[in-house]
Amino acid sequence: MRYFLALFIGSIMISVPLAAQMNKIQFSEFDLPNGLHVILYQDKTTPIVAVSVMYHVGSKNENPERTGFAHFFEHLMFEGSDNIGRGEYDKYVQNAGGNLNANTTFDRTYYYEVLPSNQLDLGLWLESERMMHARVDEKGIETQREVVKEERRQRIDNQPYGSILEETFKRAYHVHPYKWPVIGSMAHLEAAQESDYKQFYKDFYVPNNAVLSIAGDIDVDAAKASIEKYFAGIPKSAQPVYRPRVVEPPLMGEIRDTVYDNIQLPAVVQAYRIPAQGTKDYYAVDMVSRILSNGESSRLYKALVDEQQKALFVGNFPLALEDPGVSLTFGITNMGVDVNQLESAIDEQIVKVQNELISEKEFQKLRNQIESEYVTNNSRDAGIAQSLATYYMFFGDANLINNEIDRYLAVTREDIQAAAKKYLVKSNRVTLHYLPKSQENKS
Amino acid sequence: MNYIKSFILLAVLGIASCSPKMAKETSSNDNNASKDFRAMAPKAGPAREIEIGKSTQYTLANGLKVIVVENHKIPEISYQLTIDMDRMQEKEKAGLSDITGTLLSTGTTSKTKSDIDEAVDFIGASMVTNPKGGFASSLTKHSDKILSLFSDVILRPSFPEAEFDKIKTQTLSGLQANKDDPNAISGNVSSALNFGPNHPYGEITNEITVANIKLQDTKDYYKTYFKPGNAYLVIVGDITPDVAKAKAEKYFGSWAAGKTPTYTYPFPKTLDNTAVAFVDKSGAVQSVINVTYPVDIKPGSPDEIPARVMNTVLGSGFAGRLFKNLREDKAYTYGAYSSLNSDELVGSFSASASVRNEVTDSAIVQVLIELNKLKDQPVTTKELELAKSFIYGAFARSLENPQTVANFALNTLMYNLPPDYYQTYLQRLSAVTIDDVARMAKKYITPNKARIVVVGNKDDVYSKLSVFDKEDGKVQLYDIYANPRKDESSTPLSVTANEVVDKYLMAIGGRAKLDAVSSLDQTYSMELMGMAITAHMVQSSGKFHMSMTAPGMSLMKQIYDGDKGQMEQMGQKSTVEGTDLTSMKEQAIIFPERFYGEAGYTLELKGIEDVNGKPAYKIAVTTPGGSKSTEFFDKESFLKVKEVQTAEGQGQTVTNEYGDYKAVDGINIPYTVTISGPMPTPMVMKAETVKVNSNVDPSLFKI
Repeated sequence: MRYFLALFIGSIMISVPLAAQMNKIQFSEFDLPNGLHVILYQDKTTPIVAVSVMYHVGSKNENPERTGFAHFFEHLMFEGSDNIGRGEYDKYVQNAGGNLNANTTFDRTYYYEVLPSNQLDLGLWLESERMMHARVDEKGIETQREVVKEERRQRIDNQPYGSILEETFKRAYHVHPYKWPVIGSMAHLEAAQESDYKQFYKDFYVPNNAVLSIAGDIDVDAAKASIEKYFAGIPKSAQPVYRPRVVEPPLMGEIRDTVYDNIQLPAVVQAYRIPAQGTKDYYAVDMVSRILSNGESSRLYKALVDEQQKALFVGNFPLALEDPGVSLTFGITNMGVDVNQLESAIDEQIVKVQNELISEKEFQKLRNQIESEYVTNNSRDAGIAQSLATYYMFFGDANLINNEIDRYLAVTREDIQAAAKKYLVKSNRVTLHYLPKSQENKS
Repeated sequence: MNYIKSFILLAVLGIASCSPKMAKETSSNDNNASKDFRAMAPKAGPAREIEIGKSTQYTLANGLKVIVVENHKIPEISYQLTIDMDRMQEKEKAGLSDITGTLLSTGTTSKTKSDIDEAVDFIGASMVTNPKGGFASSLTKHSDKILSLFSDVILRPSFPEAEFDKIKTQTLSGLQANKDDPNAISGNVSSALNFGPNHPYGEITNEITVANIKLQDTKDYYKTYFKPGNAYLVIVGDITPDVAKAKAEKYFGSWAAGKTPTYTYPFPKTLDNTAVAFVDKSGAVQSVINVTYPVDIKPGSPDEIPARVMNTVLGSGFAGRLFKNLREDKAYTYGAYSSLNSDELVGSFSASASVRNEVTDSAIVQVLIELNKLKDQPVTTKELELAKSFIYGAFARSLENPQTVANFALNTLMYNLPPDYYQTYLQRLSAVTIDDVARMAKKYITPNKARIVVVGNKDDVYSKLSVFDKEDGKVQLYDIYANPRKDESSTPLSVTANEVVDKYLMAIGGRAKLDAVSSLDQTYSMELMGMAITAHMVQSSGKFHMSMTAPGMSLMKQIYDGDKGQMEQMGQKSTVEGTDLTSMKEQAIIFPERFYGEAGYTLELKGIEDVNGKPAYKIAVTTPGGSKSTEFFDKESFLKVKEVQTAEGQGQTVTNEYGDYKAVDGINIPYTVTISGPMPTPMVMKAETVKVNSNVDPSLFKI
């Protein structure tokens, strides 16, 4: 729970949706007077309900001197509220037979519970307590500071290759807030006062900065009444919510560097700057990544893992972000393979996508796989609740859950080739070699 | 390989989901006097009767029963084939059914494995086969393609020899990994003892049974059991019953009629009194304890739901009594759980935990206390309600997966359940009373007839366990495959440690010959992650060289030149100092056992213990440099068969097993060394060349 690295997955999930013969998701939406946007999707097939709140606050909304707050709140928000005892969120949900989770990205924070549908009000109560008067006090802050430090040690410092996002983004961005990691600076968290945290809560965890998305076995009218009951009394913020408007200039030349880490096998990271999610070119870049690494018959896997055996693992993942993001290629060398050898083998595959139009057959396979993934993705209420909230928050159109596929299907083979030529070029990338620490002191 | 891949994926993607931890601290709102609706958690609404989707059933002319669960939520259709065969005893070929199941989808009369993979990938579908059939799913529009592939692998498998060999090798690697896994050992030994050798559930797959399996056996298995007469094809998803029937007819109608053989087995004998079974795992720092016995509870029996409530109170998740007692209260373990499984032939009860060596007996005491308490005292209303909502939630959430619905339909038919069995499951759940739970506990919780299976470190744990054995007050020893072993440690030994070592030296050639060896040059080959690796080890006049190479590259090199030590990894050199240097120096000694009798060495004969089914003398050795190891010498041949080293401070143990001794210039050298511990699966090193007193290139020792 509470992994900021879920960013990676978040981005993959956002990029997946599309479907040709998908059954239409019939949902309804409305705004409460306090600005809370509500999306309801009724699905009576299973007596469960997913209750979620997405807050439009991620690390990019933070003060550069106080980074890590959005993620820190993901922890604090489990500390309790005026009416919920410290640490009791988990218990309420589990005793009701449900489960819960939360995650933070550069752009937003997401909390959800999946409960038996007769416990809808419990979910609404828990989430409204969190939005209305979460417990932000010195004791909780102290506790969670230690937990977050542990998390940083465990997930980044002590995790082989755990720092790739951080190391990549700080070189890929120089002015945009994506340059600092979601988990933020431990020094900033340490230096921050209780009043800083209270202010951040007041600024961002407000109904006019959130989407309440509910999917599952609900009676729409009854659900609306309960939502009114629990959320209508929460005041909206007095000030407009802060949104950074920073445009990162192009890289203008490859940035290369070496990172020494607690690893055994060297690795190569290539991060290409790509357009924001939802743009036409983004879809083409996303298709390129699928050619390269979707499944064991994909090009990078087949060539580098199966045939040449240069890589133990290799893959390419575009990060769908609100502002222009990156598409990340990551490869771990097989034992005894030089990191440069792997890098040029990866480059070879990219050059191939640039120089040769993909075959009709591979194109069809790509579209088939995309479609299949999408359909499966919308089979669970929790997935539907999240997709609806995401589409509304970042695209202003929750109905994209039904028709984003058209944007993928509009991408031609030529578009794919053009996107590879335009974005997957050296001058537009950061390349990092990850090497074992033991090699750091060689002179 | 897959293990490493998924590990890396997890590391990179950071998606390892982790269950929410229990809050250690709670606070109460009892003094919040507000009548505000917010002050208290809202009450749950009435539980809704769940609609599990109607199923339609047909029987084809060849006897295949088709179950269709129509569900148009998403445009996807899945096909699950289950052959409801009576379990046969595989005996000396245990493992046959699993291997056959995997083999089916690796080739048909018209397609190779890569044809099949490519075809499945192309339509973004999935397909697997197993000993009782298989599963395939795809989007509605590709349904004919996947069904055609699926019927091809089920009806026309080609049993390719190369794939058969590959699967056997993978099975053997899996068994190797399990040999070190105390939970796998506990599971195997518990089933073998609970169900006995004359029951299919009591069989254990091991290296010998896998080696016994021939390609022809898989063909025979297929011929005997892949018959439509006992088979169910469950079709779930975006399809109407009529279309489903037509498809079943088209793709499985040609399957030749026939039924699988029937077998019956007597209910396993239960114990009259509690007995303790022990499996030794040298060097273990934890014991896996399992209080277990067979139970007679059939799927769909009236007892099933109240018994599940009873078991939930005892040991489901972190709300269970076992977890609360052994983890939260005593901190003996990270987790303690119980299970009560229903089964048509014979079910089982199990209460288990992994606990620190020194609290093994205390933990067993607490498990028994909890079992007796449940048997003798009623549960509280709060516990009852909590268990019910836990089951309710899990049941409800599981329904989101259409496969759950499919399984319900299938179970209803296979176990002859009432048609509304699952529809009314939750009503019957909510009707369970405290008295029902008490009745179930009296019937199914029988600690005084349980088997207590402990897998652990014999030196630390064994002697404290006899108090729990009410049969004869003795703990019975077993090997990892549940063969009884005599406890020879209690009988006084007529030899001393030094005598055993002397006999070992005699067995490998005698002191005179060994003393005449001034150099030993050994080359071993092994395979690591698909790469052929060569290890070269040379000892000569107090110097030591070891290198590991893969084709065209050096992986690792260690040199001790009689004074200094050096380590080279992937081209990076470093100087070896301190205790590492001391142990390197000790590695330079040829046949160090020659000096075990001298000052500085401490030997302690710990008794007799089995190594791969044969008794061996177990000797704890401490070198003058302080390195500790436990060495095992075969009781008959006195050859060294095993050596266990524990790295100080790291708790990591490395086990070397020696076998396949061959004479080289009159000296017996092990040609097979199996190393386990640091890697996920053990590594087998085979000697390629062994040279005694050959001309050694002095540059090998150059730093």
